[in-house]
Amino acid sequence: MFLTSDDAKALSDKILARSNADACVVKIDGGEDHSLRFARGGATTNLATSEISLRISSHIGGRIGSVTTTRLDDEALEAARARSEEIARMLPVDPEYVAPLGPQRYETAARYDDNAISLRLDALTAQAAQVIAEGARVGVDTFGCASSARRFEALATSAGLFAYEPRSEIDLSATARNKADTWSGWAGAHEFFGARLDAASIARRACAKAAQEAEPVDLEPGDYTVVLEPVAVADIAFWLMSAMDARAADEGRSFYSRPGGGALIGEKLFDEKLTIRIDPTDPLAPEGGVGWEGVPHRARAFIDRGVVSTLYRSRAWAQKTDAEAVPFARNFIVEGGDAALDDMIRSVKRGVLVTRIWYENMVERKSLLLTGLTRDGNFLIENGRITAPVRNMRFNQRLGELFGRIEALGATQRTWRAAGGGGAAAAPPMLAEKFHFSSKSSGV
Amino acid sequence: MARGFAPLRDVPERADAGGGSRFALDRRLLDDLADLALTGAKAGGASYADIRLGETLREYAAARDDRLEHFDERSTRGFGLRVLLDGCWGFYGARRLDPASIREGVARALENARAVRPIQSQPIALEQLPAHEAEWIMPMAVDPFAVPTREKSDLLLAICAAARDNGADFCTASLSLAREERFFANSFGARIRQTRTRVHPTFTATAVDRAAGRMASRDSLTPARGAGWEYVAAAALLDEAKIAGEQARAKLSAKPVTTGDYDIVIDPTNLWLTIHETVGHSTELDRVLGWEANFAGTSFVKPAMLNNLRFGSELMTIVADRSQPGALSTIGFDDDGAPAASAEFNIIEKGVFRNFQMALGQAHYIGLPASNGCAYADSPTAFPIQRMPNISLAPNPDRCSLADLVSGVENGVYVVGAGSWSIDQQRDNFQFGGQLFYEIRNGKLGALLRDGAYQSRTIPFWNSLDGLGDASTYHLDGTFTCGKAEPVQVAPVSHGSPPARFRKVRVLNTTGDA
Repeated sequence: MFLTSDDAKALSDKILARSNADACVVKIDGGEDHSLRFARGGATTNLATSEISLRISSHIGGRIGSVTTTRLDDEALEAARARSEEIARMLPVDPEYVAPLGPQRYETAARYDDNAISLRLDALTAQAAQVIAEGARVGVDTFGCASSARRFEALATSAGLFAYEPRSEIDLSATARNKADTWSGWAGAHEFFGARLDAASIARRACAKAAQEAEPVDLEPGDYTVVLEPVAVADIAFWLMSAMDARAADEGRSFYSRPGGGALIGEKLFDEKLTIRIDPTDPLAPEGGVGWEGVPHRARAFIDRGVVSTLYRSRAWAQKTDAEAVPFARNFIVEGGDAALDDMIRSVKRGVLVTRIWYENMVERKSLLLTGLTRDGNFLIENGRITAPVRNMRFNQRLGELFGRIEALGATQRTWRAAGGGGAAAAPPMLAEKFHFSSKSSGV
Repeated sequence: MARGFAPLRDVPERADAGGGSRFALDRRLLDDLADLALTGAKAGGASYADIRLGETLREYAAARDDRLEHFDERSTRGFGLRVLLDGCWGFYGARRLDPASIREGVARALENARAVRPIQSQPIALEQLPAHEAEWIMPMAVDPFAVPTREKSDLLLAICAAARDNGADFCTASLSLAREERFFANSFGARIRQTRTRVHPTFTATAVDRAAGRMASRDSLTPARGAGWEYVAAAALLDEAKIAGEQARAKLSAKPVTTGDYDIVIDPTNLWLTIHETVGHSTELDRVLGWEANFAGTSFVKPAMLNNLRFGSELMTIVADRSQPGALSTIGFDDDGAPAASAEFNIIEKGVFRNFQMALGQAHYIGLPASNGCAYADSPTAFPIQRMPNISLAPNPDRCSLADLVSGVENGVYVVGAGSWSIDQQRDNFQFGGQLFYEIRNGKLGALLRDGAYQSRTIPFWNSLDGLGDASTYHLDGTFTCGKAEPVQVAPVSHGSPPARFRKVRVLNTTGDA
């Protein structure tokens, strides 16, 4: 169920007016979603859903009780309000309690297109049809998912804050596999505006990568020069960003912890080519204006020319450390460089072009040791040319080392939804040395 | 051999059935809404339709050190209607339960089926399922939602205190509860009501050596269960937190693992996740058919391997079931309306691959007459897809203790608790961490080790299985949140196993030469 700002305001005002708590916070989110999955030239699952949820958080004596409901009738809302207050009264006092925020100034992020027609299932079917047709033309099997959403988030507090943000989303991803089932390719994109999605380009790129008849090459595990395509860079950078919590750093539980105590803010930990920033007004991958806990997102760098410049800081930790609260970023932009992807490949004597990575997991948080595998489009580079598909490999890679020796970056582009849940990222292709592949994988 | 390092206790698996939670939603309303939907779908031309209506209650509480950070209750109700029209699926779900929403749902589901028709090269074909009229309620003694809020928050804070008083610098603890109440009806005539409850208490104790710039943590080994509060009350969480605090501290100064090929003995608290990733996911027929190729991946297992593939050694029998007491995927009927008895089968029998997991409409692709009860939708508004029933490694019929397994190892490693995990998209190459690693020397458990992970490939790994604990060593573990599909759905599932011994497996040092 998609509510307008006025509808959300009226609903939250009604609940706030009835609150018996010291303070009250109302969070409403919902929307309409469509999705279509296809495989080998046919639809497998599809859905359209209309969803809404409303959370009431009652603050009583430094304690917070919350109840979330999907029912919006008066009886249900009144029961949720009363129960949230009952819970709060039964909890122990929170020694780090912070009261709800009052009015804030938010940047307007351009993430909403009111063209709901472009989000419906028949529009998604038309996109899938382009992938299926390209697969038939090139002679590969195609599999994919097209999805779209029109969603909103609203936040209101008894201290006078009201925030409302809508967003529209559309994405298409396609996997193609050759008929012999010995190779695969992938491409995908996520956009906030339906008209920006180029289904034909996604179809061409996925199918071209998969259309390999040559026997894939087996490489021995070891350190390799790699050219990572933008979606792979965004996936890996996401883990870098996820670890940037100030409290963990201050407490000695993080890669960003200073030996002996404190956080490594202001230290150069990465190659000076690395800058990662967020910006609600950036058209490429705009962060939402309303951050976690209602704290506004501002344009800022987290890593600025290799130097750690900002860490996330919850309001509770900000209060305790007398510092600015910084909300967790769902979107981010990895700044690019001036190298063309083809030029990067031409510069490699022997290495691997990686399209996509899969099943990453942090093995060791303190050293940011990340494991994962290549997937759907892995190619051998020899003497500046792509010479063959190369079988997938597992990597075990410390991210400080990877982003500490960047050889070149290309132009930043919007990537598929690496950050998930309404998030988007933008990243460039990246050339890096000594990427550590630890074992072979037969998975195609 | 005593589990001095892991205070797991067997707790009541099946308590007084009289305490089970009754179906609470208005039966007449649900019956009427279901009839409205199925009648409307049929009038609109659907050859088949089914509908799931219900409510999910969740509670999530979290503590960190000396503060209770969150306490949230959440109720979600709604419906999901699936229609088959001219060989095309159409689905519509909404978080509402009223006649107007159902009528809209019928129209939109039919519209969606028509929308995908241009790309439906092969019509969806379904087998006829028996039409059951039934009610199934998971037995439990104490409804966890009825336990006072303060008792839960005090427990979490006490867990944190126990860990911090015994070596941990930091501790987080949380409690997740869920109750699913579902009404399923289909155009074959099925009418099924079900209610089940699950609980998951967990914590992480962390110790830090700031001078050396090091940290170590130890996650709880107490698994999630399909159970009531009696499970949480009997789980000895405070004892475990105390030991976990000590172990987190001890890990800071433990001996590093030396990378190499070792004989390893894997505790059930770790092996469950390996079973899940290597066997559970690789034998899902929808993956084999390519329906997950764009996301969760395909599988190295092919239909032609049925009854032919030597998946593991003769000690390996993997059982699928939906009836194991206390397990997370235990239920009377799956979300296609197939009875639990359909999901009682061996996936691997004495090392040979015997069965895929299937949902409605999949069996005919491999020449079988019917699915085997493996469908699940993570909410009424989600499209039901193939998901795992409980999948477990059968214990050794011959007597074998953990000490017997360890005694057969000259130079090896014993792995306890699940750590990081990763596996390739066809479920072959994997790498798993753990919570605790112990040296095994000359048949005896030795020193605590740190920074370990094991890496192998599915078929060689399971064929290296040469020792298996008996029923007395069996332990049931599992997860609330196995992810699959686009959009992602999370499913609860349990995996039981005894400890098991594997020969010559690569063990890595994750801070050195990983």
